[in-house]
Amino acid sequence: MKQLFGAVSSLSRRALMVSASAAVIATMTGMVAQAEGLGTPDKPVEVRMIANEAFANQWQTLMVPEFNKHYPNVKVTIDGVPYVELLAKSMLDATGPSPTYDIIIADDPWVPQLASVGALLDLRSEEVKGWTSEDFDWDDFNVAPLAASEWDGVQYGVPVRSNMLMMFVNKSLYEKAGVPVPTPKLTWNEFLEQAPKLVQDTNGDGKVDAWAIDTYFVREPLTPTIWQTIMNSNGGSLLDENGKPAFNNEIGVAALETHKKLLEFAPTGAISHGFSESLQAFRQGMVATHINWGSVFKGSAIDAATTTLTPEQVGIQVLPMGSKSAGAHRGIWSGAVSAKSENPEAAWAVLQWLSSKEGEKWHSANLGVFPARKSTLAAEPSEPWLVPVFDALQQAYDAAGEGKMWRIRHPRSDAAQQVLADEHSRFIAGQVSAEEALNVAAEKIEKILK
Amino acid sequence: MATNTMTAGEVRRARSPVRSKLMDAASRWAFMAPAAIILAAMLAYPIIYTVEISFARFDLMTFSAVEFVGWENYAHVFDDYRFWSSMRVTLIYLAFALPIQIVLGFGIAYLINAPWRGRGAVRALFIIPMVVAPVVAGGIWRMILDPLWGIMNWVAGLFGVDGLDWFGDPTLAMASIIIIDTWRWTPFVILIATAALLALPRDIFEAAEIDGANWWSMLWSITLPLLVPIIAATFVVRWLGAVKMFDIALAATYGGPGGATNVINLFIYEEAFRSLRFAESAAMAVIVLVLTMVLTGIFLIGTRKLEDRY
Amino acid sequence: MTSLALSGGTRKSRFWPRVRIAAGLLACVIFLFPVFWMVLSSFKAQRDIFTVPPTLFFTPTLQHYFEYMQRADISRRMINTIIVAAGSGIISIVAGGMAGYALARIRLRGAGTIGVLILLSRGVPPIALAVPMFLVARSLGVTDQHITLILAYCTFLIPYVMWLMRGFFLALPKELEESAMIDGCSRMGAFFKIIVPISMPGILSTLIFSMILAWEELLFALVLTNRYASTIPVAIAGIAGDTVNGANWGALTAVGTFTVLPVVVFALLVQKWLIQGLADGATKG
Repeated sequence: MKQLFGAVSSLSRRALMVSASAAVIATMTGMVAQAEGLGTPDKPVEVRMIANEAFANQWQTLMVPEFNKHYPNVKVTIDGVPYVELLAKSMLDATGPSPTYDIIIADDPWVPQLASVGALLDLRSEEVKGWTSEDFDWDDFNVAPLAASEWDGVQYGVPVRSNMLMMFVNKSLYEKAGVPVPTPKLTWNEFLEQAPKLVQDTNGDGKVDAWAIDTYFVREPLTPTIWQTIMNSNGGSLLDENGKPAFNNEIGVAALETHKKLLEFAPTGAISHGFSESLQAFRQGMVATHINWGSVFKGSAIDAATTTLTPEQVGIQVLPMGSKSAGAHRGIWSGAVSAKSENPEAAWAVLQWLSSKEGEKWHSANLGVFPARKSTLAAEPSEPWLVPVFDALQQAYDAAGEGKMWRIRHPRSDAAQQVLADEHSRFIAGQVSAEEALNVAAEKIEKILK
Repeated sequence: MATNTMTAGEVRRARSPVRSKLMDAASRWAFMAPAAIILAAMLAYPIIYTVEISFARFDLMTFSAVEFVGWENYAHVFDDYRFWSSMRVTLIYLAFALPIQIVLGFGIAYLINAPWRGRGAVRALFIIPMVVAPVVAGGIWRMILDPLWGIMNWVAGLFGVDGLDWFGDPTLAMASIIIIDTWRWTPFVILIATAALLALPRDIFEAAEIDGANWWSMLWSITLPLLVPIIAATFVVRWLGAVKMFDIALAATYGGPGGATNVINLFIYEEAFRSLRFAESAAMAVIVLVLTMVLTGIFLIGTRKLEDRY
Repeated sequence: MTSLALSGGTRKSRFWPRVRIAAGLLACVIFLFPVFWMVLSSFKAQRDIFTVPPTLFFTPTLQHYFEYMQRADISRRMINTIIVAAGSGIISIVAGGMAGYALARIRLRGAGTIGVLILLSRGVPPIALAVPMFLVARSLGVTDQHITLILAYCTFLIPYVMWLMRGFFLALPKELEESAMIDGCSRMGAFFKIIVPISMPGILSTLIFSMILAWEELLFALVLTNRYASTIPVAIAGIAGDTVNGANWGALTAVGTFTVLPVVVFALLVQKWLIQGLADGATKG
């Protein structure tokens, strides 16, 4: 809260006056204020949003018109920025005296970074409460996705595009190898036992043409999430209660070695595979299992333009069990309002609608986006293919919530993640031992988080 | 050149000597001024800013330096093995890529500059690799070099070499970066070299030919000396471009495996844009700036020596 | 033709020139193979791109082109890219060309130092420049405008242009300007009337090179623009970094092809005009 006031006091005078007067009117005169904050037909309110280029265009053309059916006087403009530059670009903009963007769409580990520079509005403050509909049910959100936009006890955002690291299964390849198709009860040990059989020659030309698994192995910040998930499901964690690195131990080393062992059963060249490459291998029917973000399900199982597989062939579930639990890893996109926005009420209206029960239902039914609310997940999905997806998603939320399966929550979490990526890659490339990689990473991360 | 200025002075003798001197100086400086003014206006602040934050604690709340910390950021950088490994990787890349591109570029330019109808078209086609966006280029080359089905390994198979993992093996990953970079930037050398060849004064060659010189001696004692300034300029421009390469590494290998292709500019980029460690990143930028200046200075002195010799 | 001399002994033998042209063509084919692969992939459905082994025969589709063209921002981005590339290319060739001439031909105390400083300014990693440039642009209120991007690109184009043009000007015979200035031309007049026309091959090649660099620049475009001045490379980076569906290589290769075309056409026209101009000059001279 203090941080927030600090940020507010440094605002341009105009922004301060607008938001202050809006707040006063909102609490005093109810209806009139709402009309002003949300625009009138003569004077529509304009809000701008910065989002991942991967979905900005889709939102602009499909989501915004739907939103405008409910709030016709809020004009929403969405600018897309490529994923890897989005955080830096959001930070650059949000820290200026009068930012361009009213709404910031932040990936899972970014909220602490944005919040710690005072860029985000507390969505459960008294002021925002006045703009929040009474039937907006905060408790209906699953704990794990909602926690993605919480920092230091303050709720800065709402989940608008949920995602989880999942395991995809090519059932045909399992059947061909005579190996039982995985269930959520599958353990890593069982998987590694079965894996040699899943490396097979399917067309009988004497050359191996199908492998057991493909996933992230390349040097990039998301690759360590695979290792982390294996570690988490064996009861390990990235940091201890004091926020010090706790991954450089036996569990961490074993998990890292397991991740590298997967390479033995992965397609040739998988060491340089990441999100897109491993996804292609799965969609081409070259690998029996595939660990990737759940959102790729539709393009891998349903959409014939992008995949060679059919819905019956593709399974989706949580990652194999370790000694403690099944595995998952959280990847929630949260929507947050800029602390310096001149139209915070309208900005919040966009996010509020999108994350409401109604908005979420529309979002998942029409754009295939994963919901975060328990009620949406429990209800009958609009499309039959979403049924197994929702089941798996609910299991993943539970596992992630229990095992704290997410990246480091800290104002410098991306710096720490980059260090993990570097050391992880050195180990995968065979340049250092697992112990050394993790010790170096722990030492560097401890310095960064200080 | 001295005579040059004299004649110019004589033309304007009509006016008062002081004024004409001023006018003369102004007319000379008028050539340098636009470039100098644009660059000074655009670069002065960014460079000062970079140097300033490299010596300071960086505040993300204001994107500015808040507290002078002396050489602390530099100490962090020098302490980081990743910095040194990036410098080494960059040197290896430069040592291979630059000479290959210059030799290949001037060689191909010489080949396609034969007098025939299609050479204009061929020259235009050669610029295409430069225009393909780095991200797309990286992706296409990933397809070509794919260890499973890429055409490169099929060709290598014809020569009895099997199973090259182009992006998985550290040495081969560096080789792929050099190959892709050479594919992209040799066309630049060709573009400049063909223009230089076109502009060569033909009377000298005609005279030499009448004197009975063979093509080798013409190439060695006429063409090459005339081309020295432009070869040197091409080298310096390509060197300054290559030092900053990071897009290809990012698109093709992500700097991996294990940092084998993590060139210094990729590291600087990651520290700033991914890790948001702007102070450390600025310190590295200053180090790279100083090193680049020193090496460029050496190249320029070399250029001057070569130009004087011919 | 001007380079007749380089072909060496054309009259004596027809064999070596042919070998030479064939070798040049082979080099061209090798360099263009990845481009061919790009164009080919742009007509494949996404599921056909990564097959094992790669398919040469497939049902071609224009889907990627249509899909991409339909995106609201593509024409705007294309226009922006053209404006920015042309603007920065032209400013750089004029300012840089003049500076290069000053270095090569005009005795100017201190110009050499300035020239070297200008060149050395290229040593600053672009990543270090982008953020402070954004901060300046923001305080002046000129983010997301063409002129900002044009001037930013000039900072890396001018040094290159200056140095390359210096190389070209050095190769010119020294008597040219002298005769012009005796004829009563001012120094500037001599430069534009005599030197520039005769240096056209170098100028145009350098211009093409500069425009290509501006055409594909990503980092500054990413940091300095949001929407109204945003260029094609930003869109390409977005498609490649698609974190929802994976990089769509059909779309990427389609956009790649689409952005290469205008430059190739431009270069072909310039080459044609250039050869024509040289031929005219040769006959007149």
